[in-house]
Amino acid sequence: MRQPPKLRPTLWDFLTALCVAALAVIVAVFQWRGGQTQGLTAVVSVDGAEVDRVFLGYAAGEKTYQAGDYTLTVEYDQDGAQVLASDCPTRDCVHTGTITRSGQSIVCLPGRFILHLEGGAADPNAIDAVLG
Amino acid sequence: MKRLTAYVLGISLLLAGCGGPVDPDKAQESIQVIAMDTAMLITTYGERSPAAAYAAEDIIRDLEDCLSRTIETSDVSRLNAAGGEAVEVGEDLRFLLREAARLSAETKGAFDITVAPVASAWGFTTDSFRVPSQEELDTLLKLVDYSAVYDRDGPSADSPAVSLGPGQSIDLGAIVKGYAAGKIVGILREYEVPRANINLGGNVLVWGSRPDGTPWRVGIQDPARPDDKNALAGVLELTDSFAVTSGGYQRYFEENGKRYHHIINPATGYPADSGLASVTVAAPAGSQALWNGTMCDAYSTALFVMGEEKALDFWRDHQDGGSPFELVLVTEDSRVIVTGGLADRFTLDENSGYTCETVSYETAS
Amino acid sequence: MKLTTKQLTLCALLTAMALALSYLENLFPLSLAIPIPGVKLGLANIVTLFALYALGAEQALLILLSRCLLGALFAGNINALFFSLLGGLCAMGAMIVLSRRQVLSVYGVSVGGAAAHNCGQIAAAMLTLGSSAPLYYLPVLLAVSLLTGGLTGLAAACLFQGLSHTDLMKG
Repeated sequence: MRQPPKLRPTLWDFLTALCVAALAVIVAVFQWRGGQTQGLTAVVSVDGAEVDRVFLGYAAGEKTYQAGDYTLTVEYDQDGAQVLASDCPTRDCVHTGTITRSGQSIVCLPGRFILHLEGGAADPNAIDAVLG
Repeated sequence: MKRLTAYVLGISLLLAGCGGPVDPDKAQESIQVIAMDTAMLITTYGERSPAAAYAAEDIIRDLEDCLSRTIETSDVSRLNAAGGEAVEVGEDLRFLLREAARLSAETKGAFDITVAPVASAWGFTTDSFRVPSQEELDTLLKLVDYSAVYDRDGPSADSPAVSLGPGQSIDLGAIVKGYAAGKIVGILREYEVPRANINLGGNVLVWGSRPDGTPWRVGIQDPARPDDKNALAGVLELTDSFAVTSGGYQRYFEENGKRYHHIINPATGYPADSGLASVTVAAPAGSQALWNGTMCDAYSTALFVMGEEKALDFWRDHQDGGSPFELVLVTEDSRVIVTGGLADRFTLDENSGYTCETVSYETAS
Repeated sequence: MKLTTKQLTLCALLTAMALALSYLENLFPLSLAIPIPGVKLGLANIVTLFALYALGAEQALLILLSRCLLGALFAGNINALFFSLLGGLCAMGAMIVLSRRQVLSVYGVSVGGAAAHNCGQIAAAMLTLGSSAPLYYLPVLLAVSLLTGGLTGLAAACLFQGLSHTDLMKG
C-alpha cells in the first residue's frame, strides 16, 4: 500500500471543515449582502446579451423568451419572478421557483438563459409609466 | 434538502441583517390586458384592488366590443356598414359621437373621426401601407365631415339611433382609450382605490400618488428614439391626472425614402406635417373624468395636426373656464415647450439633447 | 504509463463503479434543492478518493477522465462533460494536495475534495454562462459539501476498513 490512509478524524480534519465553512460564510457575506425585496428589476439575458429588463414594481403577467432551442415562460409580479415553464431538458430553471431578492438569479444552462434580479431600494427617480 | 437550503438561506440573510422594509401598500393588483391593438397595464392599490383591476379590464373589453372597427358586430362596424342608414347603438357610442362632434368643432376640424376612409386609403387600418394618389384623396376628403354624423333623436331620446353621411365611416381610435381611462376613474371611485397607475397603451391615468407619497413619474418618450423605451424627452410628475401623447413616430411606414405617419390631417388628407414630433396633453382626473379623459386623447391628436403656434393659441384660449389642460410639445427642431401649469412638474431628460422652454399665459397675452 | 493486468482490471472496475454511483446520485438530484444546472452530490468522489490512496494519482486521474467521458457519452450531453470534468479535476487536485503528508484523515480529504468539486461546478457554470450569477449559490453548495464530503469520507473509511485484510491496498 502506498500510503495507508488515516481512518479516524483528526483535529486537522475539523480545521479543514472549518475552512470550508469559513469560505462559505465569506462568499455568502459578499454575495448575499444587501439583498433587497423592493424596487427590483429583472434583467434577462440570453447567450450573454441582455434581452429584456422588467421593473417589478408595476409589472405583472407572463412573458415568453426564446433561449437557444428552448422556450421559457417567465411570470413576473411585484414580489419576484419565476420560470413557469420551459422545454429545456433539466428544467432546473422551473425548479428554482420564485426569486424575490436582488442578487438572485434563475439560470437555464441549456438555453444559456439568466434571469437576474437587480435592485435595490426603490429608485425614487424610477419611471412609473411612459407616454408614447 | 429544499428545506435545508431555505433554512441556510434564511439564517444567512438574518445574519446579514437585511430584512427589507414592509410595503405599506402590499395590497395591490397588477394585470396586463391586451386589447385595442395594444398592451395595457393596470395597477391598482388598496384592499379591493383585485376587484377594481378586473372591473377596469371588463370596461376595456366591453368598450372594445362595441367600439372597435375590426370587430364586425361592434356598434361602430354596424354603423360604418349601414351606408348612411340609421342604426341603433349603445350609450357609449352615442356619448362619443356627441363628444367627437363637439371636439371637432372646437378644434376646427383638426380632430375628426370621419377621417377614417382617408386613413384606410393609406393602409393604416389594415397594415397594407401605400401612398394614395391625389385624386383618390380628393374624392375621399369629401367624405370627411364631422357635421354629417347625426344623432337623430337627440341625446335624451328613448330610441337611440344615429347615422353617418352616405359613404362616410368613422374610427374612434383617437379617443376610445381616453374615454376608457375616463370610465375607469368611476371604477376607482367605486372600489375606493387610493392609488392606481393605469397605462392603456400610452394613455396614462395616474390616481392618487405613488406608494411613497410622491407624485407618479410619467415619462414622455423621446420621439427621435422611439425604439429605445428608456429614451425619454422628459418626465412629468403627476397625481390624479390623465396624460396622453400623440406623435408621428408611433406608427409609420416609409416609401421612396419618405416617412408617412398615421396622424392624418383631415384638411389635406396627408400625414400632418406641422413641425411637431409629439404632443402630450395632461388634465386632471379628479373631476369630469369622462370628459377630461376623452378630451386629452382627442386634443393630443388635434394639436399635433395644428402645429406649435396654433396649439399654444388653443391652449391660451382655454385658460378662462372650461376644462383646463396643459401641454408638453416636442418639436422636430429639438425643442420642448411646456405650458405654465406643468412648468414645475416637468423635468427635461438631460441626455435627450433637447432645449426646454416654458410658455405662460400671462406673458404671452 | 504502464499498467499491469491487475491494475487495468481494477481501473476498469472502479470506473464502472464510479459510473454506477453517478447514475445513483441522479436518482436524488441535488439540483432540486440547489438549482444550479449540472451540480451533483459527487458520490463518484468516493471512487476517486479510494483510487488516490490505493492506486496513486496517475491511475486515479485515468479513472476520473474515463468516468467523465463515458458519463457524458451516456448522457449525450457535452455540457455535462465540462461540468463533471471541471468539478472532478478540482476535487482531484484538492484531494491530491490534502492527502499528502498524511496530516488529514480520509474525512478531511473528502470534505476538501467535495468543496473543491462544488467550486469547480460553479466555475463551470460561470464560464458557460459568462456571468457571475451562479456564485450566488456557492455558499449553499459549500455548506452542503461539508455534509456530502463527510458522507463520502465515511463511505471511503468503511471501504478501507473492509478491504484492509485484502491485498487490494498493496498496489
